Amino acid sequence: MTTMQRSAVTKRRSTTEIEQSTPEWQKRLTSETAARVTALLAFVVIWVVMSWLFSRVPGPVEVGERLVDEFSRGEVFGNFGMTLYRFFIGVGLATVVGIAVGVVMGLSQLSRAFLESPVLVGLSIPAIIWSFLTVMWFGFGDMSPIITTFLTAVPFVVINVAQGVRGVSRDLRDMSETYNVPFGRRVRHLVLPAVTGYVAAGVRFAIIMGWNGVLLAEWFGGGGGVGYRARFWYDANRYGGFAAWVVLFVGFIVILDRFVLDRAIQRSFRWRDSR
Amino acid sequence: MTDQMVVGAAPAAPTGPADDREADARRTARFRRWRRNALLALGWVAIYLVWEFGSWWFGSRLLPRPHEVFASAVEIVESGNFVTDFSASVLKTFAGFGVAAAVGAPIGYLMGRYNYWRAFFHDGVTIAGTIPAIVYAVMSLIVFGLSNFGPILAVALVSAPYVALNVAEGIRGVDRQLITMSEAFGRTPAQIRRQVLIPTIVPFVFAAIRMCFAVAWKVEALTEVFGGRNGVGFQIRTEYQLYDISAVLAWTVLFIAFMLVIERLVLAKAEARLLSWRPEERGAAL
Repeated sequence: MTTMQRSAVTKRRSTTEIEQSTPEWQKRLTSETAARVTALLAFVVIWVVMSWLFSRVPGPVEVGERLVDEFSRGEVFGNFGMTLYRFFIGVGLATVVGIAVGVVMGLSQLSRAFLESPVLVGLSIPAIIWSFLTVMWFGFGDMSPIITTFLTAVPFVVINVAQGVRGVSRDLRDMSETYNVPFGRRVRHLVLPAVTGYVAAGVRFAIIMGWNGVLLAEWFGGGGGVGYRARFWYDANRYGGFAAWVVLFVGFIVILDRFVLDRAIQRSFRWRDSR
Repeated sequence: MTDQMVVGAAPAAPTGPADDREADARRTARFRRWRRNALLALGWVAIYLVWEFGSWWFGSRLLPRPHEVFASAVEIVESGNFVTDFSASVLKTFAGFGVAAAVGAPIGYLMGRYNYWRAFFHDGVTIAGTIPAIVYAVMSLIVFGLSNFGPILAVALVSAPYVALNVAEGIRGVDRQLITMSEAFGRTPAQIRRQVLIPTIVPFVFAAIRMCFAVAWKVEALTEVFGGRNGVGFQIRTEYQLYDISAVLAWTVLFIAFMLVIERLVLAKAEARLLSWRPEERGAAL
């Protein structure tokens, strides 16, 4: 015991000592940028190895070719626009309705007891069932993806917003009650600023769920769009085409997440973060 | 709003003797419990009414009425297909979780412990978390074809990012002072890992698994719909191809009920058992 202790103590150096003794090249190799680049390289290597191991997995080169092919056929922008239109209407509706229902649910215990089971049921119905049903109900137009997106996304917004509203400071709520602040002003000035974070989390989740819903409805509905086009290649056993659409789509999601959603979230937190 | 009114009214109440007040409070509590249960029941009634209205609006061929779905659910349970398909689906879901925990927890550990690995994995894990489930479902089918590995891979792919992020969060939240103290007392890194870090991250792994359980079984069913050879999703696809919508809904309803039971009973119990050494968790979980 004592020998182990002694050896452990004598070996240790301070962090600055460790920092000074590491050579420059090693520091550069272990920097965060290097880590990112290495991760990217590792991903490509894994992809290539996978395409060697499994004959049906398309390699990066094939996917690139398909991507160029799809662009030159002019299939990309029309289908993408169609999907985006359906997606944004669905998620927008889900956000508005979800915030309204969530605020009501968070503010009063009675409405919470009433809405609890519908929200639970809504959360647990898989998107695929909604897409089956809406395709039968509304046919192959824009309606079925929009409704599927809305229905899969709205419970997540509701539950997050309700959670946030319940966490609003009790003291402030009691005070506004005492001073007879009208309901509208109370919601606008007290509840909404306090739940912004929860709304953001809910919308983020709704967006993930919404993409899934819109793609599924298009996959089974067949009225054009990204999902339809991806299915076209999948059914034709040309997995390269499918992977090309996945790459396009995931790239778009990442860009949307980084440059639009993050900015919007930062903007909506100005009141808190700036001094 | 009502709970506020009750809170506001409480200080005004103490006028009569103590027994009266206690009886009053008990009566109020009973009334409120009763009202809550009534509203809960009302919620289910509302669901039923919306469903009935929908099947009237769309016609019962496009949206079968609740009692028709119930009848086919009874038929499915009686026929006995129920057990084999359900156990197949549940086993695949848990196998996927096993893979996700085995892959995601070490990644999360590295991400939480070292800055290098955080930068290495961060982008990939966040992107993997935002990819829609349908992409994973179809991708696993492309890799494995029509086999049981497809759904397992899909569940693992969906859950692993959540597990990794949660574990990383947990590791970063570990009490720094505990680690410093262990180092000061000459504990080896292996001992620190086993006695300090791992007990701290177990709750986070569980939180992650419970969080993505709701997503995972849907992905599992989805993958089976696209290309499974057994399981609930396979049955749903078969019935859909026969245009037997009430059977589709019956399978869905049974599956949802079953999964909610698993989530509430099995996972919650297991979590409470594994975490019972933490005094504050014991009260919260039960």
